[in-house]
Amino acid sequence: MLPPDFLGRLLFLLDRYGVSLLQGAGRTLIIAIIGTVIGCLIGFVVGIIQTIPVSKNDNMFKKIILKIVRIILAIYVEVFRGTPMMVQAMFIYYGSLQYLGVDMTMWAAAIFIVSINTGAYMAETVRGGILSIDRGQTEGAAAIGMNHFTTMVYVVLPQALRNIMPQIGNNLIINIKDTCVLSVISVVELFFVSKGIAGAYYTYFETFTLTMVIYLIMTVVCSRLLMLLERKMDGPDTYDLATTDTLAHTSGMMSYSAKKGGR
Amino acid sequence: MEERKPILEIKHLSKSFGKNLVLKDIDFEVYPGDITCIIGASGSGKSTLLRCINLLETPTGGEIIHDGQNVLERHVNVPAYRAKVGMVFQSFNLFNNMTVLKNCMVGCEKVLKESREKAYEKAIFYLEKVGMAPYINAKPKQLSGGQKQRVAIARALAMEPEVLLFDEPTSALDPQMVGEVLEVMRSLAKEGLTMLIVTHEMAFARDVTNQVVFMADGVICEQGTPEEIFVNPKKEQTREFLSRFMNK
Repeated sequence: MLPPDFLGRLLFLLDRYGVSLLQGAGRTLIIAIIGTVIGCLIGFVVGIIQTIPVSKNDNMFKKIILKIVRIILAIYVEVFRGTPMMVQAMFIYYGSLQYLGVDMTMWAAAIFIVSINTGAYMAETVRGGILSIDRGQTEGAAAIGMNHFTTMVYVVLPQALRNIMPQIGNNLIINIKDTCVLSVISVVELFFVSKGIAGAYYTYFETFTLTMVIYLIMTVVCSRLLMLLERKMDGPDTYDLATTDTLAHTSGMMSYSAKKGGR
Repeated sequence: MEERKPILEIKHLSKSFGKNLVLKDIDFEVYPGDITCIIGASGSGKSTLLRCINLLETPTGGEIIHDGQNVLERHVNVPAYRAKVGMVFQSFNLFNNMTVLKNCMVGCEKVLKESREKAYEKAIFYLEKVGMAPYINAKPKQLSGGQKQRVAIARALAMEPEVLLFDEPTSALDPQMVGEVLEVMRSLAKEGLTMLIVTHEMAFARDVTNQVVFMADGVICEQGTPEEIFVNPKKEQTREFLSRFMNK
């Protein structure tokens, strides 16, 4: 029998459905994390393509291909940023089932929709991150003979990634919360599970109290972990002087040209 | 005696931004071991000239001959050319995401494709030279301006360039730091490194160089040895510019 008081009902629901709730929460988390990671990758690819410099000396072929790819990518960003994820879920899941005869599994559909959505947002974030890097960094790289690709990989992107970390964290948290709209295509995540439990005993307030707490724990833990990661990326605030380490290489006896000739 | 060939030959170089002509018909040569100073008032095109030589700006006319090859032709491998012509900037432009050591190694590893050990050795060797070897674990933001510039010089040297361009290397520094950077440049000069320096440090230009180029309004106004320019300037413009600087 259902206990009469609020606390008793909470414990009752926890005892009976704790495992299902945790399973739902696990699914939510997995979909959100994988979706965010793939979304970031998509975002990086799109953002990088949008910032490839075109100079007058490049050949016509490269210019035309780049132009076409950029138009397609711009359309992708506008469409997926400009429509609700819930509607996209219905459109993609049922559309592919009805007209393409493809039955995407729950996982595939969920991860695909979250990724492609995050990618659309991240594309602009990455573009902003790349543009925010001082021109001096690219010039410094150019001056030692780095090409565009090397400059991007070793100089610009690591700094851009660091700068957009807060935005990536934002996206992860938004994704944890927004996966609940995937319940419309019957993805059995935390919200879907909660709705079922609430309906079974007519305990909406109690069930969703638990659901609220679980969502909050997930988002808070994720945001703290990301902050730790950011701090790790920044490296230590201090540095050690390495005087002893380099004494073996005493200089001043070799002249510049001698060194060069001896190479 | 072996005939000396210039490392760089600048021929009739010109550059315009839109309708604004900032460099007109620039002609000069840099021979191995030469230390050339480019002096002149702000806005006379000195920095633009240096940036054109490293192709950070694309000249609109003329030729830059390096190794018998005009580097302004279309098929030239620009990164390979830049690897041989180093550059030190006014704003240092060290890579913020790397330590001092990495800053000096990355060019050797990723551009010259040398082994990690070789890159490490070279980085330490040149950091020793500029007195920054103890700071290999520091990040650029943890250094003073003078220290950053010395690391930037070591980074450029690690590429073992044929000629090193300095774009107002001391203009962003306070007087005490200017001294430490100039000291490093002086010692490089003694070792015979070919340098092309844009600077406002007249004493340095007078004492260290063997060729001085005075620019005004986008043209080379006068060019010669330090004695010719500083002691017996022929042009009125040069005299005026120098008297303004020397009286400070």
